[in-house]
Amino acid sequence: MSSIIEMPLVRLVAGFVIWSIGFVVLYAAQALGCAYGWGDWHRPALIAVYAAVLVPLTWMSLPGRNEGRSGALFAAALWANRSALLAALLVFMPVTFASLCS
Amino acid sequence: MFKPVALCATPLLLTGCTGALSTLDPAGPRAANLATLWWVMLYGSALLFALVMALFAMAYLRPAWVTRITPAQWIVGGGLVLPIPILILLTGTALVLGEQLLPRGDAPLRFGAHAERWHWTFTYPDGREMSDEVLHIPAGRPIDVAVTSQDVIHAFWVPRLGGKIDAIPGHENLIRLEADEPGTYWGQCAEYCGPGHDGMWFRIEAHASDDFAGLMGGGQ
Amino acid sequence: MSEQPSAIGLHKQLDAIWRTPPGLAGLSSVNHTILGKRFMMLALLFFAIGGLLSMLIRAQLATPNSAFLGPEIYNQVFTMHGTVMMFLFAIPMFEGFAIYMLPKLLGARDLAFPRLTAYGFWCYLFGGSILIVAMLMGVAPNGGWFMYTPLSSKPYTPGINADVWLLGITFVEISAVTAAVEIFVTILKMRAPGMALTRMPLFAWYMLVTAGMMIIGFPPLILGSILLEMERAFDLPFFDPTRGGDPLLWQHLFWLFGHPEVYIIFLPAAGALSTIIPVFAQRPILGYRAIIAAIVAMAFLSFGLWVHHMFTVGIPHLALAFFSAASALVAIPTAVQIFAWIGTLASGRPRWDIPMLYVAGFFVVFVIGGLTGVMLAMVPFNTQAHDSYFVVAHLHYVLVGGFVFPMLAAIYYWLPHISGRQSLYRLSIPAFWLILIGFNLTFFLMHLTGLMGMPRRISTYPSNWGWDWLNLLSSVGGFILTMGFALVLADMVLQFRFGARFRRDPWQAGTLEWATATPPPSYNLAAIPHIETRADQLQPARIGPALASGNGYLGFARNGEQETLAVDMMSGEAEQLIVLPRRSYLPLWTALATASFFLALLFKLYWLAPLGALATLVLFLFWPISLGSKSDRGPIDIGRDLAVPPDVEALNNVTVLANRTALVMNGTLFASLLFGGLFLLVVAPNWQGSNAPNLPLWTGALAMVASLSAAGAAAMAARRPGSVLPLRAGLVAAIALQSLALILLALSMGTLGDPTGHARQAMPFVTLGYAALHCGLGVIMAAHALWRHAQGYVSARRRTELVLARLWNGYAGGVVVLALGLGALLGLDGVAP
Repeated sequence: MSSIIEMPLVRLVAGFVIWSIGFVVLYAAQALGCAYGWGDWHRPALIAVYAAVLVPLTWMSLPGRNEGRSGALFAAALWANRSALLAALLVFMPVTFASLCS
Repeated sequence: MFKPVALCATPLLLTGCTGALSTLDPAGPRAANLATLWWVMLYGSALLFALVMALFAMAYLRPAWVTRITPAQWIVGGGLVLPIPILILLTGTALVLGEQLLPRGDAPLRFGAHAERWHWTFTYPDGREMSDEVLHIPAGRPIDVAVTSQDVIHAFWVPRLGGKIDAIPGHENLIRLEADEPGTYWGQCAEYCGPGHDGMWFRIEAHASDDFAGLMGGGQ
Repeated sequence: MSEQPSAIGLHKQLDAIWRTPPGLAGLSSVNHTILGKRFMMLALLFFAIGGLLSMLIRAQLATPNSAFLGPEIYNQVFTMHGTVMMFLFAIPMFEGFAIYMLPKLLGARDLAFPRLTAYGFWCYLFGGSILIVAMLMGVAPNGGWFMYTPLSSKPYTPGINADVWLLGITFVEISAVTAAVEIFVTILKMRAPGMALTRMPLFAWYMLVTAGMMIIGFPPLILGSILLEMERAFDLPFFDPTRGGDPLLWQHLFWLFGHPEVYIIFLPAAGALSTIIPVFAQRPILGYRAIIAAIVAMAFLSFGLWVHHMFTVGIPHLALAFFSAASALVAIPTAVQIFAWIGTLASGRPRWDIPMLYVAGFFVVFVIGGLTGVMLAMVPFNTQAHDSYFVVAHLHYVLVGGFVFPMLAAIYYWLPHISGRQSLYRLSIPAFWLILIGFNLTFFLMHLTGLMGMPRRISTYPSNWGWDWLNLLSSVGGFILTMGFALVLADMVLQFRFGARFRRDPWQAGTLEWATATPPPSYNLAAIPHIETRADQLQPARIGPALASGNGYLGFARNGEQETLAVDMMSGEAEQLIVLPRRSYLPLWTALATASFFLALLFKLYWLAPLGALATLVLFLFWPISLGSKSDRGPIDIGRDLAVPPDVEALNNVTVLANRTALVMNGTLFASLLFGGLFLLVVAPNWQGSNAPNLPLWTGALAMVASLSAAGAAAMAARRPGSVLPLRAGLVAAIALQSLALILLALSMGTLGDPTGHARQAMPFVTLGYAALHCGLGVIMAAHALWRHAQGYVSARRRTELVLARLWNGYAGGVVVLALGLGALLGLDGVAP
């Protein structure tokens, strides 16, 4: 039902929706890895998720994507998506070094 | 640290910062780290607060000084360039410090602290119970306390030695503490646990190594 | 419409349609202006009660070894102070403000569902009364406003106290749920034509995001309250660690709501600031687009912070690091807004007036609260400050700075709109200084009290820790603060009595609400304007009189119906004509039936509770009777040479959007329930060696097939509205199949094993129960569509009821699949770590 959820509004929240999904997956994987003893695979798995989240966010933060489209909402969406990229980059960074299960 | 001393001596704060439960009067390396983090954050915050207030005041009192700042400069400068480096630096430092404070590495002595409404039972590493809600530990070396609860959630907090950890029924939590010198350090339950919450005090007695070895060996 | 009446004549005609008569008939009012004022008045009353309680707290703590209140009373007092301020003051206050203001700001004549507004108000009033009456009877909640288990579980709170909290607050939350859906839908669909999303005033953007956050944020709390009440009432062990539950599950569910909640309270206040500041800066807000991006960022980040209330519960450092970083990062969108506001003032021609005095107070207090918030986000420091008076200081700086000071600014800015009179200003300046000084004296010192080791929630303290002077000064400050608030109250009363009347738009504002007459008439605007520019740069004083004389859309009274417009969500083009329901006592009766359900649970009359629920349901089924149309009307003239179809003849109408929104909310509740099941499986103690629940394969598979087929049948019916037979066959099939699924699920619930024995049985038990309930709702929605069709309300063009049946049956099908999936997972051998 494309008339219900209009594209620009989706675009406005898309970056942070991806951030949220990344957050949930990482938090869950951290807990599952400790509970079920993923051992040496635990951290690489988390880092893989980290990298996987950054790819679409980077793509969405490129300025060229909005050519031909103007208007306040697209500009706001671009900045919201860039904020999401920054948030993902920083918030998930600890998977590279912090203690996994203690 | 002369600055803390200066602030604590301010006459307005008649009480000063010392006190048997004061986090600002640390008596061990871990609590000292936390106090240092606090003082750094306090001075940083004071600067940022002054900056924001000055800009707000200037909008009314000295508009000529600030009218030439463009909208982009306000938002990018104030909203992004100013806070982002500060936050990255601070959070990074705090995370590294947090890693260092974790109870890991060479296993020190592990004591037990069991909370029950509304008193504490402490045990030696060999499982013997201590009396009178007093936890006896050696001074000058890190020790671990395994914190558990019988009933509701409590929290184990000895402000002069380090942070707090919750005592949660069904879970065992570990906290590492260290006292520099032999002496008495007061602690308390920090998580609200019902009508007796007010009085859930306890003491840590830190002993010199020889004295502590005597306590451990003596079997009381 | 043939001849244009005078402005006075038009007012009389419209007022006759929209007005609520005086006297007892006021109980039937569904008007947003009246209900918004009622919400705000009641919220102010609760603010006074909460303030009184805080005075008791400060009196008790002023001196060491105080025997003024014993711990039993003190525990009730501080619990009620927090509960009243959060749930009965702050949330309803901004809801009431949004209810009053949004239609006027957006150019609508009411909210999308006026009767739902009234129902929400009654739920708020009755739920809040339960709490206050319990307090007067001495059985108020005493577990702290976040009600940590197991302290609030049956063994440690055997009395009614915790039930009062769980049931009373859940009752009140109904008003938050209805308000969230209504605000969300109204902002998206009911604006003046021409007001594209990108032309909305920022306050509407803030409220849109707030409503979105409420839709995701409130369900976890409601679920947690339901689970805890079930544990207390029926001994299902969700939070009991000896039987596979975990007290930490409550903390996760509570703070998953509780942290976004802080931003849910702050954002409307920030929206008010973003409206007030440009007016006094005499220039448009700076960084409109940046602010939209910032509030979106803030909304999402605020859901990634909840564990920062749980830094000391023993969670691995990596997990803490996520939440710590997110907590620090949320300062950035906050900074963007702060600097946008200061920049607006700096680059405008700022003038000084009373509202700005309180805005200045906001800057001082809120910035300090934000800075201590960043401090608390740092895990190592948090282990010292957590649960100490430092946190008490921080949260008051954030909430008073981020909500109460903006509210005071808003009172001085908008109260003239309500009263039609201007403030006298004699009292507002001393009031401000008393509040600012009293507040800082009380709470600034608490930072130090906390660092000196004073834990929160102790009823008394000995004299030997060095806290005596700090506490005494805090108490003195508290009483100064209260005097300030008393002066503001006096000022408000005097304004209604003695304030000078004014023409339109006393502040030279740029938003549409000032284009109404003041006090506003029952229909808001005699005509709805066409918006050509961004709607915070209008000239209300100029367009107001034109609208009053009927120049605009719907500038007439027609058929005695309450007409307003719906627009395209993005572009704001006029799309549908909405005929709103008239005033009615139904919301009151329905709320009374709901109250009987909650009271039956509270007094453990469990046989009566289902009757209360049934009565509520039956009364709700009366609501649609007065709505809809039995014939297709086609496009209808709305003035300005434009004609649009009535909303019942469109599919993207407010009803469908509201139901989709409600399903998202419902889905969040269900997702929280699934999270609870998985959380207990992975984290809770005592799962090793527990008995697996017994879920028979064939019942489960059959229930799944039946429910999904029902969803398919309902979808088929919605697709073929023109032909009677497939439509009726589809709906009848949906009813039959969904009923079958309900019966099978109920049977499965019986075979799981004793749900009071272990969470491994209790979790699938409630999950399947939730699924069965939604099969039942699917049946009701399909039967409703069938009934409306038989009555002649459904046609090829009027098919809203069919769409609703499809949506709810589809949701039920999805829920059945996931619920059975959770049951099967928990039934696997060796799944527990």
